[in-house]
Amino acid sequence: MYQVKPVSGGHVKVDLPTCMYKLPNIHAQQGNSCTSEHALQNGEVDPAVRALEARQDEILRKLYELKAAVDGLAKTVTTPDADLDLTVSSCLSSHSPIPSTFKGVTDLDTVLGKDLGALRDIVINANPAQPPLTLLVLHSLLCQRYRVLSTVHVHSSVSNVPQQLLSCLGPSHADSYSRNLFQLGFTLIWKDVPKLQMKFSVQNMCPIEGEANIARFLFKLMAPYPSDPAQATLIDNWVDMAFFQLAEGSSKERAAVLRALNSALGRNPWLTGSELSLADVACYCCVLQSGSVSSAPANVQRWIKSCENLGHFSPAKLLVK
Amino acid sequence: MTKETVDGAMEEQQAQSKKGLKKQQKEVEKAAKKAEKQAKLAAEQQSTEEDDFAKDRYGVLAMVQSQQKLDRTLVRVKDLTPEKADQLIWMRARVHTSRAKGKQCFLVLRQQQFNVQALVAVGDRASKQMVKFAANITKESIVDVEAAVRRVEQKIESCSQQDVELHIERIFVISQAEPRLPLQLEDAVRPDGEGEEEGRATVNQDTKLDNRVIDLRTTTSQAIFRLQSGVCQLFRDTLTQKGFVEIQTPKIISAASEGGANVFTVSYFKTSAYLAQSPQLYKQMCICADFDKVFCVGPVFRAEDSNTHRHLTEFVGLDIEMAFNYHYHEVIESITDTMVQIFKGLRDNFQTEIQTVNKQFPSEPFKFLEPTLRLEYTEALAMLHEAGVEMGDEEDLSTPNEKLLGRLVKEKYDTDFYVLDKYPLAVRPFYTMPDPNNPKYSNSYDMFMRGEEILSGAQRVHDAQLLTERAIHHQIDLEKIKAYIDSFRYGAPPHGGGGIGLERVCMLYLGLHNIRQTSMFPRDPKRLTP
Repeated sequence: MYQVKPVSGGHVKVDLPTCMYKLPNIHAQQGNSCTSEHALQNGEVDPAVRALEARQDEILRKLYELKAAVDGLAKTVTTPDADLDLTVSSCLSSHSPIPSTFKGVTDLDTVLGKDLGALRDIVINANPAQPPLTLLVLHSLLCQRYRVLSTVHVHSSVSNVPQQLLSCLGPSHADSYSRNLFQLGFTLIWKDVPKLQMKFSVQNMCPIEGEANIARFLFKLMAPYPSDPAQATLIDNWVDMAFFQLAEGSSKERAAVLRALNSALGRNPWLTGSELSLADVACYCCVLQSGSVSSAPANVQRWIKSCENLGHFSPAKLLVK
Repeated sequence: MTKETVDGAMEEQQAQSKKGLKKQQKEVEKAAKKAEKQAKLAAEQQSTEEDDFAKDRYGVLAMVQSQQKLDRTLVRVKDLTPEKADQLIWMRARVHTSRAKGKQCFLVLRQQQFNVQALVAVGDRASKQMVKFAANITKESIVDVEAAVRRVEQKIESCSQQDVELHIERIFVISQAEPRLPLQLEDAVRPDGEGEEEGRATVNQDTKLDNRVIDLRTTTSQAIFRLQSGVCQLFRDTLTQKGFVEIQTPKIISAASEGGANVFTVSYFKTSAYLAQSPQLYKQMCICADFDKVFCVGPVFRAEDSNTHRHLTEFVGLDIEMAFNYHYHEVIESITDTMVQIFKGLRDNFQTEIQTVNKQFPSEPFKFLEPTLRLEYTEALAMLHEAGVEMGDEEDLSTPNEKLLGRLVKEKYDTDFYVLDKYPLAVRPFYTMPDPNNPKYSNSYDMFMRGEEILSGAQRVHDAQLLTERAIHHQIDLEKIKAYIDSFRYGAPPHGGGGIGLERVCMLYLGLHNIRQTSMFPRDPKRLTP
């Protein structure tokens, strides 16, 4: 009858989707994170919050470093061995952990396990007859690094503990009524134990025994061992020498260790190089405990003085007095 | 009658008479025997009476009705030591056992936890009849004994006084016990395991409770209740030293204090009243009345129909309440310090009692830390989570979770006593002060011994306005607690406190498993006597 012009052009290109549902790629995440960020994988924490926390920790860390530097400068003005004290600020800044993505909280997570939203309490059982000086020094180093809640208890198995042992961790923090404001707990219990013991997570960790081992654990909370295996072995060597030969050895062994210390300290200001390490802490405390301070050779004496110039070693010194 | 039957009857009669004859014969024999015996006895008695030279040195005395005032010192068994050797002393004790062996009779005489061996031997002081009399004294009778203390070469292991024994010269029974005792004391003290192994009897708890008077005489019971007395005394002494005042609160009250259906009703003249579930309200009123720090020791009545190992319907409550300056931790420190002083006092002064109880009920010694360990509720949740138990943030701890938590804390900190602080507000009573920083939590705490709760306490709401709001939130009838709210309207200091049960503390300190062992005359839904 009549022809009507077609309303629409014959070929309308319709884009039919080839994909039914789109899901996020679950494999994509693995490639992005580096080993120190295991904790983020369960995706519970908002990454924005994490970033904020990280910034805060970074700022706090810088503040601590500044404070340490100022303290160091103050000491250069007041103490005779001024040139050696320049190492204070450098050693404390070198204390800061090496990897660039390092965040204080994450480091704790790798050593201590996942943060369950409550205070992470480290329990140390010590015999009042053998106070662990190394741990006291490490405690004051920890307090600089983190917010630590320190408490001292006396177990019912001992009846009389001298006052200085009760106050060896320093005055209690003003905020100690609220445990969840702290990152780490350091609970020292004076108890009748044959060997120094540390307990942290009853389910996942067996107790750690021996001052050397506990010292290594606590040091790792602040900084990982140097990645260079030779350096790490050197530190371990000094730590073992300190605890086995200096503290518990015969007078011959002790003399031998003091000579070794002397020669090592002739080359470097600190035992393993230009930085303070666990080896220095351990050796200092054992030298102090064995009472060989006055009879030590010259380099050792100088090194002892520079250790004492760092405020952290004072708890140990106070106890030995 | 037929011939056979007649014959039969005749035979029967004959048989009967035969039987009858036999019977009669037997009876005669019997009578003869009896007469013989009696004659013999009579003869014996005569002879014995003739020979008894010690007749006035033993016997059953007439009942002591205060006939005369004797000026005689009686020595205590625990003072019988080698120092008194060769002295002639008088003493009064119970006969624990008596055993005759030929011409001697061995007695064990007991006084509370102490016992000593005594001997009656035929000689110039004692006759055969006296030895026989001593052997026949019933167990548990009370006797007065005059004896010489003698040293022994070989230690007597089975007695508490091991270096001496008594050689009896005179023995008199003051109060005789019935021969059949409802339970034997050795059986009552035997540990359960030993009883099963060696096939010897042990006494079950119901029998012990029914015959409480005899059960309380055992060494274990004596030790338990002496320790309990020590707890009460240490509680009073420690608090008095801290400046607390002891108060007595009424037990007949007009309204149920803790709410709920767990109150006993008593008829009170024309109306009814209730027996107090806790002295809570009155303690707080005392604080508002400016007594500052108070404690009270008194009975608490809970009408809970729970037949468990740790519930009683009536028990002794030791309650503390104090006003504090700025933070309720001052209250926690005060309470935990009191508990630690009690534990120290028990550890240092009651070791004998603890060892005695451990012989029958072995357990681990009680450990604690000073100052007391204080954990927060979030930490407890984290510890339980690590152990595989999932719990909500605002959920209360169930009894198995409390026990598990107790074990975890013991494992990590090696203490049987700790405080759990900052409980969720939802599970606490309406008068608990909420946490200022986090509305989900409250300023309340629980204390645990060996994983079981012994104290529930908190900072109390001391503002009438807030108290009314909280009561409305918990849907409590304001009329019933009007007097309580009124006491805070005229200036009330911030305060807090808590209460412990004496029996539960003793039970958990000694590591016992049933609270009826630490309650002298326990009351539970099934027991009203003795």
